[in-house]
Amino acid sequence: MTKVLTKRADRFSETTIDDEVVVMNLDSGDFFSLVDSARAIWELIDGKRDHATIMTILSERFGTPADEIGGEVDRFIAELEAAGLVGRG
Amino acid sequence: MSALRSPTQAMELMAHETRVAYSAVPRELGGIPVEPGFRLFSNGQFLLRCESGYGYHYVPGGGVTIERPASGDPDEETLWLYGSVYSAIACLNGFYPVHASAVAHRGHVIAFTGPSGAGKSTLVAGLGQRGLPMFCDDTLLLDLSDPERIIALPGHKRLKLTEHALELTSAHAEQPVGADTGKSYAAPPAGDVREALPLASLVFLETGSETTWHPITGAERFARLADDHYTQDLYRESRGSGRAEQFALRARLATQVSMARLARPISKAGYVASLDLVEAMLRDGGEESME
Repeated sequence: MTKVLTKRADRFSETTIDDEVVVMNLDSGDFFSLVDSARAIWELIDGKRDHATIMTILSERFGTPADEIGGEVDRFIAELEAAGLVGRG
Repeated sequence: MSALRSPTQAMELMAHETRVAYSAVPRELGGIPVEPGFRLFSNGQFLLRCESGYGYHYVPGGGVTIERPASGDPDEETLWLYGSVYSAIACLNGFYPVHASAVAHRGHVIAFTGPSGAGKSTLVAGLGQRGLPMFCDDTLLLDLSDPERIIALPGHKRLKLTEHALELTSAHAEQPVGADTGKSYAAPPAGDVREALPLASLVFLETGSETTWHPITGAERFARLADDHYTQDLYRESRGSGRAEQFALRARLATQVSMARLARPISKAGYVASLDLVEAMLRDGGEESME
């Protein structure tokens, strides 16, 4: 869990429309609409931060203890990894 | 994306590339046979061979060659030429075709889109009766060469209306469209527009129990641009575009054009109410703030 999270830029295209980030998986054609916390997580994944750092930033930003948001964050990151959009290390 | 060109240059280009001559067309393109009922893009050229015997061959800079069968139907010839062939040439020259009918208002284009039968032409005919000139019917060509704005090119000068639409709009049928379409050509009541204009709004027509207008925001703008109309297939085939290019195109439209949904009952009352609503949106909000 200490490895940095990195977007796999060759696997997706993204754009911002109003307050939503739209990410398309170029392999499948599926796209995700990211708002609120999902958008925040996506934008925090920059190839420099690890999972714990992202969790700390989110906890501070949303004023919620890390253990309360941990499950949701883990599930979303796992979804991004399963889609091949994010990797570790 | 195409090199930057002015609206006038864009219109001149399409006029030049769609000029017609009559002769036999090849049976293959780039060494690949094209049988009747098939079409092919190759090396910037387009070859369409219809099952009826009509053939269309486009060569960049050379216009369109049409091969007529012995018992050709001029109506069918026109439909193919102004439909698939026109769109294919547009795609090969960097334009993007949208399945939409449109009116002009204060120097901008308001386009209505939806599947076949959604009422695009009927609405444009009705808005014409209220003084809004037709911009195009069924296919809207967009020039994306200027990254700062999306320019729409005016289309053909007549509406294609069903019997029901003629009755609803009180439009005058000039002649049958033919080719078993069940439609007739009708002149737009407020005339048409002959200059390229910026596209301001794209309105998606829907059926509903009430007549309502809903702005479309966020990712729904992007999702709404998925279209299974044949012009989209032509665009992909002509450019060999992958998902990344298609995404960029949809993202640009989603961010540069306002979008809304217009729902209305399919009835005479719904038709009149939808005209009232569009007219009110244009009057109150102007063409650039129809969100």
